[in-house]
Amino acid sequence: MSELLVFVISGLVTGAIYALLASGLVLAYSASGVLNFAHGATAFLSALFFYEVNQGLDVPPVPAALLTVFVFAPGLGWLLDRIMFRKLAKLGETPQIVATIGLLVALPALGQWIVVLLRDAGVDLAPPDNQYGLPGVGPNPPVQWEIRHGVGIDSNQLITWIVTAVVAVALWILMRHTPLGLRLRASVDSRTLTELRGVSADRLSGIAWMLSAGLAGAVGVLAAPLLALSSVDYTLILFVSAAAAVLGRFKSVPIAFGGGLLLGVVQNLVAGYAPSWTDRITGFRTAVPFALLFVGLLVLSRSKRSAGTAAVDAPPPDYLAGMSPLRRWAPWLAAGLFLAVSLYTWTTPFWIGLIAQGLAASLVFLSFTVVTGLGGMVSLAQATFVTASALTAGLLMSHGVSFFLALCAGTLAAALLGMVVALPALRLSGRMLALATLALAFLGDQVLFQMRWLRNGDVGWEIPRPVVGPVDLNDDRALALALLIIVALVIVLIRNLENSASGRAMLAVRSAPPAAMASGVSVLRTKLALFAISAGIAGFGGVFWASFNTRITATEFTAMNGLIWLAIVVAAGIRRPQFAVVAGLTFALFPHIMEDYVTDSPYVPVILFGLAGLALAGNPEGWVVQMAEGLHALRGRVTGRGKASAVPPQVPEPRVEAGPVVALAPHADEPQDGAEAAADASDLLLRLRGIRAGYAGVEVLHGVDLEVRSGSILALLGANGAGKSTTCAVAAGLLAPTSGIVELAGERGEFRDITRLSAVRRSRDGVLLAPEGRGIFPSLTIDENLSMWLRSAAERDRVYERFPNLAARRKVVAGSLSGGEQQQLTVAPLLVRPPRVLVADEPSLGLAPLVVEEIFRFVVELRELGVALLLVEEKASEILTVADTVAFMSVGRVSWCGPRSEVDEDRLTAAYLGIAGSAASDAGHSEVAR
Amino acid sequence: MPRLLRAAGLVMVPVLLLAGCNSSTTKKDTPSNPNSPGAPASKDPIKIGGVVSITTPSGYSKKDTDLGAKARFMMANDEGGVNGRKIDYIGSEDDNQDPAKTTTAVRKLVQQDKVFAIVPVNTTTISGSAGFLKDNKTPYIGWGTVPAFCDQEYGMGYNGCLVPKAGHNVNTSWPGLLSDILGGGKGKSVALITQDTDAGKFGLATYQAAFPAGGFTVAYGKSTVPGTTVPTDWSPWVNDIMSSNGGKAPDVVVSIMQTPANIGLFKALKLAGFKGILTDATDYDPALLKQAASKEALQDVQVFVQNMPFESTAPEMAKFKEYISKAKGEPVTEWNQSMMVGWNSADLFVAIAKKAGENLTVDTYQAAAANFQDTYALVGDRKFPDGRNNSFGCGAMVQLKGESYNIISPYKCYPSVPFK
Repeated sequence: MSELLVFVISGLVTGAIYALLASGLVLAYSASGVLNFAHGATAFLSALFFYEVNQGLDVPPVPAALLTVFVFAPGLGWLLDRIMFRKLAKLGETPQIVATIGLLVALPALGQWIVVLLRDAGVDLAPPDNQYGLPGVGPNPPVQWEIRHGVGIDSNQLITWIVTAVVAVALWILMRHTPLGLRLRASVDSRTLTELRGVSADRLSGIAWMLSAGLAGAVGVLAAPLLALSSVDYTLILFVSAAAAVLGRFKSVPIAFGGGLLLGVVQNLVAGYAPSWTDRITGFRTAVPFALLFVGLLVLSRSKRSAGTAAVDAPPPDYLAGMSPLRRWAPWLAAGLFLAVSLYTWTTPFWIGLIAQGLAASLVFLSFTVVTGLGGMVSLAQATFVTASALTAGLLMSHGVSFFLALCAGTLAAALLGMVVALPALRLSGRMLALATLALAFLGDQVLFQMRWLRNGDVGWEIPRPVVGPVDLNDDRALALALLIIVALVIVLIRNLENSASGRAMLAVRSAPPAAMASGVSVLRTKLALFAISAGIAGFGGVFWASFNTRITATEFTAMNGLIWLAIVVAAGIRRPQFAVVAGLTFALFPHIMEDYVTDSPYVPVILFGLAGLALAGNPEGWVVQMAEGLHALRGRVTGRGKASAVPPQVPEPRVEAGPVVALAPHADEPQDGAEAAADASDLLLRLRGIRAGYAGVEVLHGVDLEVRSGSILALLGANGAGKSTTCAVAAGLLAPTSGIVELAGERGEFRDITRLSAVRRSRDGVLLAPEGRGIFPSLTIDENLSMWLRSAAERDRVYERFPNLAARRKVVAGSLSGGEQQQLTVAPLLVRPPRVLVADEPSLGLAPLVVEEIFRFVVELRELGVALLLVEEKASEILTVADTVAFMSVGRVSWCGPRSEVDEDRLTAAYLGIAGSAASDAGHSEVAR
Repeated sequence: MPRLLRAAGLVMVPVLLLAGCNSSTTKKDTPSNPNSPGAPASKDPIKIGGVVSITTPSGYSKKDTDLGAKARFMMANDEGGVNGRKIDYIGSEDDNQDPAKTTTAVRKLVQQDKVFAIVPVNTTTISGSAGFLKDNKTPYIGWGTVPAFCDQEYGMGYNGCLVPKAGHNVNTSWPGLLSDILGGGKGKSVALITQDTDAGKFGLATYQAAFPAGGFTVAYGKSTVPGTTVPTDWSPWVNDIMSSNGGKAPDVVVSIMQTPANIGLFKALKLAGFKGILTDATDYDPALLKQAASKEALQDVQVFVQNMPFESTAPEMAKFKEYISKAKGEPVTEWNQSMMVGWNSADLFVAIAKKAGENLTVDTYQAAAANFQDTYALVGDRKFPDGRNNSFGCGAMVQLKGESYNIISPYKCYPSVPFK
């Protein structure tokens, strides 16, 4: 029993580190939506910084630690947020995962490189390699105490415990009892709503990143005595602590914190009490945390969307859509031919070898095109497939099986393993799926590939290159050429797959699994097929890659390699197979081009590979597409000047309206309108003029004009899909119009263009949107919800006086209220501190008639308080009883606007049937408008 | 499908066409290869380059291997070269301990730099290049801790092959040294601990064979330490070991792990009151004395060293120290295992090349290497071809006391026992 206690207590040291890492991970993820795979790398950089400041610059440990935790790490977090995370938060999951993986690779190399440069420049830093037993914050060497016979702790462990406890309390106070914590939790609940309450989510996420990095900094300082300066170890313990974050479902910092502590204890208990038969399974103990991570993800992760697929990312404009296949492929064919000719002309044996290696890598990289490019799922287990396949092939060839049979068997083994890895994809999606595949990849490295019959010790297996008739692939040149042809074949295969019925099924499953199911596509089968095909390609390429070296050992392609591959492939472009070949050749050739012409520092290519992933924050389609776009733009400029309009553009331009012309047009020909408006401008507050707006290139609003006056209700009516919510979004600043202007009257009645102001700024200027559905934060209590708008307690007390039912439950989580109460909670704070303009999107949606009546009473009350109200409703009957002015919307236009008294049944019918004023040609747009 | 087949057919045409011409180019560049058997003997410098893990993701660097080799080749040149030919040592490529980079580093040295041999090789990821080096007839010498130095026509470990194979022998130098210190291993129990990996298990198996041969009883032998990150808490293993010898602590704890793990384990064992001998094979590094924590954790630990310890007063050691400083261009007072690997690899190359005679070609070199025997103070008795499958079995034991390592059992060679 006392032994158990010892394991528990001492396990808490490891657990403390996990807890700090996991809470930092969750904090940043919940505030920004980006899961930072590079969190461990941040901890490493902090450890390096602490070490250099303390040991190199001789700053005493405590100031050095404080500098690291409170200045360096938060500064790094802030910087990364500014240049990267902020942009990433708005992109799909794939670029997010890949960009932070790129960072994981680049940051440690960058830190080490800077140390080298500084030392070269004469700065007196300490060498960072071969350093063990580094000092921590406390006494050095650490003081030890024996707590009971045979068991002791040292000062570093004690400091870790104390710091962790202090951090836990501080985090709890920050999150629960400060306005900042409230806003952070609010933005976790709903980023948009937080912005609508006038709180900048960007600033919040910046603060969250600083806090998160600060926690990583603390880990760096505390773990330095244990992990020394091994960058890979910091990344590994991050992945382990991800299991704790999973326990908190990546939302709850306290649970993640507790989970981290628990994880440390469990790990100790397994090490101490695992039955002896587990000794026979090599890697069992190493793999425990990853097995926990995997199981935790499967059991605890639930995704809102259907599993497996990532966010729907719109494909980039295809500039070559109108061209014949020959013209489309001409540049690639030419490049392939050039490469083939190069092999036999000017290249040296060394470069031929590199090209062969690059092409073998390309084969493997093509597997990413299938699973991630086509399937929309991020797999971090591709290296596992490569190793599995090559080891299988090697094992068979050692028994005299021919290369081609072994190749088939290896490919098959990889495909089967792919189906196993696909199982989590049936439940998980996006980053959770990526983590699950990563856990499996580590399990592969640590357990599967530790089996001696499969790996053959450190010797591995020989994979002689094949000789077929006159073709002897032992010549690098012949191998490179053969690989070039095989790569071309696989590209053709993948293109055919994309265009086949199965490919369409894959796309369907990727973008809308329920719809795919409804159309008779088996999501299960499609996902299994995607993973199996992708793993098969990886395995197929893996055998060739191994045959390049003529040997495969189990440590040749590790899970960590797989991470770098993904970063390189996605950075080049994941959507088309050709890009994977560019990535493969870059992977093999680039470091040597760098070495020959730029620098022989081993850090620089690593940093650049990592930063290529970072560039995704700028263009999620990868640099090949970016270059193509640049080329296209250049060509457009050249031909545009040369041929003028002689050639009609075959290619749809990315939809950027000829903005200024259209926008100014209404102004030009309505001076008299302006004059009229000026007549009663005194109460005119918000004005929309000539608004055109839409989503992803599809225009929804085709020139909307609206005027909202203070102390008056403008009811916006129209059928489903008329563009009402879009109008609200434009008015509130959630959606930027492509043309037209939004103006707000200032205090003295002068109009100010607020078209470019964000929702946050507009909210601060008094323009508030109550979005469709409930405008509340479900995880915050009633009191906290109120304080998002009412900062002072006195103001909140006025709400409670007015609504005793809310007062009685002020500590209750808002999500547990009834629909009516939730709507009450939305409106109540506005009655106490009315905005200047309230845009309410279907406030009566889904409410009982009695509640609707109450809501409209509030609306009238707000009007009495002088608020300018823009009310959107689909059902006209109730709102017509309170509205002063009525506007009908139909297919993206205001078809009629006038006083309520002029509204009669004919007008209503006309408006709802969409007959009035709208051109028939626009009907198509109404499908997508909402 | 038919479309696919057609496409495939179209692509196959050039394959066959080009396949026809490829065979003619296969051997084309061979004559220009300096390593080809027919290359005439010359008086040009012998070009040598190395492959070393200078930077690694784990922060462990073997960069001084390069310095060691540079120093030894410098000494050879100062002494008039190898049979009158100078050695042009072009330095070592950094392979990052990444197999793909090792491959390209080796290829660069062979194909671009056209080196005669690759010396020193100090990386664990050389295995994938053994086939290439054989095909290109390029000898290589390094630290034989991986199978690429065992049973290879062109590869040699400077102190033999350190990865015993079933059916060959395993050396008893470590238990032998311990037994000398303890006055015999009879009745003494040892605990062997390694990491939870296949390599760890293999290492455990070899020492489970070697220690009984020294008279020891293996009371505990487990590969249960997680192989990825070093445990931050050692209590489960310490508890286990402290009661492994029939409820008592064993006399000796042998750690077959790396420095970070050793520091943690030894510290925890000492705290738990372990009074016996702690020993490992990796912590003979004066740099470890710089950090107070590692110095304290390794106090009294006996470290098994495969080379002559730096504390030795042998004239060869004085030469080593002299030339390390000379090669570095500044006085060096701190020596490490990496320098030894570089120096000893280079020394073996120079010795074999000298034996090969005036007409140094790959063939004469290989002939000299095939049956090479001598004694070199820093490594012991060098015997080939025996060294292609076995370790030379020599070592010394040093112990950290206060600020320095002391030799507690001098450098000596021990017999081998069969490894089943």
